[in-house]
Parts: sequence; structure tokens; C-alpha cells
Amino acid sequence: MGAYRADEDYDYLFKVVLIGDSGVGKSNLLSRFTKNEFSLESKSTIGVEFATRSIRVDDKVLKAQIWDTAGQERYRAITSAYYRGAVGALLVYDVTRHVTFENVERWLKELRDHTDANIVVMLVGNKADLRHLRAVSTEETTNFAEREKTFFMETSALESLNVESAFTEVLTQIYHVVSKKALEIGDDPAALPKGQTINVGSRDDASAVKKDGCCSA
Amino acid sequence: MLKGKLKLPAPDKVRRVFPDQLGSLVAGFDEKGHGIEGSEFKLESGKELKPIQPGELGFHIGSDDDDDKETKIWQRFCHSVGNNSHLTSWFCKVEAKPKLLSNMLSQREINLEKLQRIASTGIPDGGGLREKAWKPSSTVIFISNIYLGISGVLCAVALAFQFSLIILLNLRQLSLGKASLWSQYFHYTEIVEQIDRDLQRTHPDLPFFPGESSISCKKREAMKNIILLFAKLNPEIRYVQGMNEGNVEADRVSCFVRILGDSADHFCQQLDNSSSGILATLSRLSDLLKVNDEQLWRHFELRTKVKPQFYAFRWITLLLTQEFKFEYILRIWDTLLSNPFGDMLLRICCAMLLCVKSKLLSGDFVTNLKLLQHYPDDINIEYLLQVAKDIRPDTSYYCLSL
Repeated sequence: MGAYRADEDYDYLFKVVLIGDSGVGKSNLLSRFTKNEFSLESKSTIGVEFATRSIRVDDKVLKAQIWDTAGQERYRAITSAYYRGAVGALLVYDVTRHVTFENVERWLKELRDHTDANIVVMLVGNKADLRHLRAVSTEETTNFAEREKTFFMETSALESLNVESAFTEVLTQIYHVVSKKALEIGDDPAALPKGQTINVGSRDDASAVKKDGCCSA
Repeated sequence: MLKGKLKLPAPDKVRRVFPDQLGSLVAGFDEKGHGIEGSEFKLESGKELKPIQPGELGFHIGSDDDDDKETKIWQRFCHSVGNNSHLTSWFCKVEAKPKLLSNMLSQREINLEKLQRIASTGIPDGGGLREKAWKPSSTVIFISNIYLGISGVLCAVALAFQFSLIILLNLRQLSLGKASLWSQYFHYTEIVEQIDRDLQRTHPDLPFFPGESSISCKKREAMKNIILLFAKLNPEIRYVQGMNEGNVEADRVSCFVRILGDSADHFCQQLDNSSSGILATLSRLSDLLKVNDEQLWRHFELRTKVKPQFYAFRWITLLLTQEFKFEYILRIWDTLLSNPFGDMLLRICCAMLLCVKSKLLSGDFVTNLKLLQHYPDDINIEYLLQVAKDIRPDTSYYCLSL
């Protein structure tokens, strides 16, 4: 899992959005995952930024098209357009600023208003390296995540902790969802389809399955 | 809503304020009317110069400058070429621009059109020329603008506001309730914190804000106050991330207010769907592209589906400050500020598309978006601005603003 592949060569294309309050570290999570870079002095995101990376799950290549959105309230009216077609979301908060966790609920609502019901959501508590400043306990978020039926992981973009796992988990879960959907075989996540052409559903213009997926590495 | 407040004066008003006759740039030449007829200078071309009559020359001669040979050479040169703008612009490009500008800017009255024409070709670094040249552009806006009144008390308000904030900060722990005054105060501290976070992230690469030295702290502090004040004066806009980017160079309140005044509607959420809001501006960019290069426009619309809000949102709201290296930004802003009533920002955006047209045409959604979100920094900026100037206007819009 996790190997890089050439850009054009993929079986599935998934659109994933990064959302959450301003300054929680969304852009650094993205640059850590797509370029293995981190900057303590990164600029604030205005509007939207965009990056891609492919990973391998089983014998399939999943290409993630990741949209990093601006966190500030002002931009929400405009960023809502960026949700279109998203099949996965990383909802990020800052474990050292409790207010960013409190706002998760609003973000979740917005996400559910704008995307397909099957969207895979992962709650991401970033900046876990700042242990002495922690303001949100792991337990608190675990309870919340269970209640809201989202995935949850704590990360540190700075220390490269769990970043890879968070993205990979989301992409893998999306893969499972679309696979299930195609076969219509209920809830068994272990049953994976082979060589199917799958419509991800929703009014989807970004996430898609490449027909006749070319293959395995 | 905001347009009313921040409205630009009509061009004819401006002309009245700044006389544009070439020969009468300055009042007061007569007072110091001694001096240069008898001097002996030669231009390299060897052309003999006509003597200069008092009042005829467009430049003020200060008595302190009488021994400044370069100034006199330049004055004679200007006189000899007269209205030959071709020659003037050639000379400006070569070496005389700093002198020309500093001469113009030392006048009591400034020919704004001429200043803008020269500034639009770029203002040389050094000597504080840029600040001076931008200021008249800003000043014009002040003339028939609500900020005329505000600017005078701006400093006092800033001080008072800062002071009250300090007091409030000290009292912070006392507050628990939701009394209106306190919630108002917390509303502002929220803004202050957001501004703080963003100022830390404003052009970290620039020597203007070097680390934690006391000077850069002061600069940040000053910028913070200006932004805060703007947020306070314009409650519909408040503070929006990105304002700090725009404020870097416009480190004078006047410049900042003038620049933000023009693009203020883009920061205002309520105006998103109005004709002066960001969405309308983005669609104007799309229309401008259609008029100037339908092939590229079709490529975006039909093939790659790359919408202007995916790339040009940041271009427009931040006046291109995140797209280029700093010296290019200054150069672009010379052009932007020298064209305060036009559509130069959209022209430049459109030119940015045209300048990478072949790459765009051969790319798909992903490569197009990556290219436009990380615009190549090896672009020839002068060429880009020339393309921008040559853009055909979209005549379906009666009036284009920034």
C-alpha cells in the first residue's frame, strides 16, 4: 500500500476534500501526504488548492484528487462548489485549540448538506506533536466520532505521524464503499469486486472509475 | 452596498483636481525662476537645446537642486523632446525614470495622467519613489470619497482602539457572561487572533518581516491595527483572510484603503451574487477570455471544465500577491495603481491565461489546475503586462472596475 504511481495510470479516481477551521493544518497535511513536505510558515489558503497522489490498495491503483479548502467562514459560500462530487473528506481540527473541535459539528453539517450520503468522513485531530498544549482529549473525539459514525485519527503533519494512514484509510474506505455499491451485496466490506465499472453515484463530475482499468503494477 | 461607500470618483472630477496640461505641471516655478539657461550641458545625442522659459518647463526646480547637474540635464531633455512620448518612454526605460518620477513627485501639483502613464511601465526600486508614486493614485480616490473624512482621524482612532484593546485584554479573565459589550469584545479578540495567525504567515519569505526582531514585530503590529480598523469601519466585510497579503506593500493606510476599497466587494460575502461581488467578477474574466481567445475559452468550458473560481478567485481577491515573486508583485501593482479606473486586474488575469495558452491547451483538468494554481515564475513580466494592455475590452459590459 502507498506506493507512488505515474499520474495517468489509475483504476479509480476519488475526489477528497480537506475541511476544518482556519489554521488547523490542512495545507500541511496535504503537502505532507502529496509531497512529503512541511512548512512552519505556510501561507493561508485562499479559495482552494489542489493536489493529487495515487496509492495502491489490493491490486488497484486509487488516485486521490485532494481539494484543500480555505478554512475561514467567509469562503464557505464559494467553497461549497468545491464539494461537488467529493466521495471522501478529512475534517481537520487542532488538538491544541478546543474551539476548532467545537466547530467540527458545523463542518459536518455543511459537508452532509453538500455531498452524497455515502461520503467517507474521517475526523483528524492534527498537531498531536504539541503534547503539552493539548486541549482536546482523544476520548472526547472518540465518543463524538462514534456518535457521528465517522472515522477518527490523530495526526501530526510536522512529525509525519499518521498522515499517510489517515489518507490511505479514507481512500481504502471509499474503495470499499464503491465496490459494495457496485455489487449490491449488502454490508460485507470484505467482498471486493474485480474488474467492475462502477458509478460512484451522485452528481459526480470529478470522482470516477476509469473504464477498463488498466491494471496492476 | 459597499460600492456606495467606496465609490470611485468619476474621471472628469479627477482631471479637474490634477491639471493635465503638459507645460503647467507646477506652480511656483517663477519664484525660483533662476538658474538653468546659462548652464552648459550636452546630451549624448549632441542635439542643441532650446533655452527654457520660466513657466514653460514642466518641472519644479528647488534651490537646493541647483547644483544637481543630472536634474538639469533631465529638465533640458524633457523640454527638448516636448510631447514626443515615444522618445520620453524610451529615455525612461533606459535610465531617467527615477529622476523623472522624483521630479514629478516633488511638484505641488502633479499631472496624474502622466504619472500614471510612467508608473504603469514600472517604478524603479529605491528612493521611496514607489510609495510616493502610489500615494497620489490613492489621494485621488480620497477626494470624493468617504475616507477623506475618515483618514484625518484614522491615526487617533487607531491609537484609541489599540489602547482600549489593551485594557480589555487585561480584563479578559473577568468576563464569563454574555453581556453585549463583552460578546462584542470577544468578537473583536477573535478577529485579532485570526489576524495574528495570518500576519505570522504573511510572506514569510520576505525580508520585510524577518522573524521575531523588534522591527518586524512593530511592522506586524502596525499592519494589524490597520487591518483591524478596516474591519471595524466595514462591519459587512470584517476581516477576511488574505487582507494581510494585500497589506504587505500597501503599508500606508491610504494605499491600503484605496486598494481594499476597490476590491472590498470581493471580500464581502453578502455581495457574492451581486454585480460587484466576486462571482460576477469571475464571470467577467471568463467573458473577457472569450472575447480575446475563444479557443482557450472553449477548452476551459467544454473540455477541461476548469472554472475561474478554481484558480482566479485567489488571483482577484489578493490582487495577484500570491502568484508571483515579490519584485513582480510590485511591478504589477505599479500597473494596477496607475490604472485606477480601468479593468487592469482582469486584463492581467486574462493575459496570464494567454501567456500559458499552449500548455493549457495540451493539458487536462488536473494539469491545467496545477499550472494555474502555481503560476510559472519564469514568465516575462513585462511581456505579460504588455499582453494585458493589449487585451480587447469586453464591450458587453458598460463599465468595468477592478
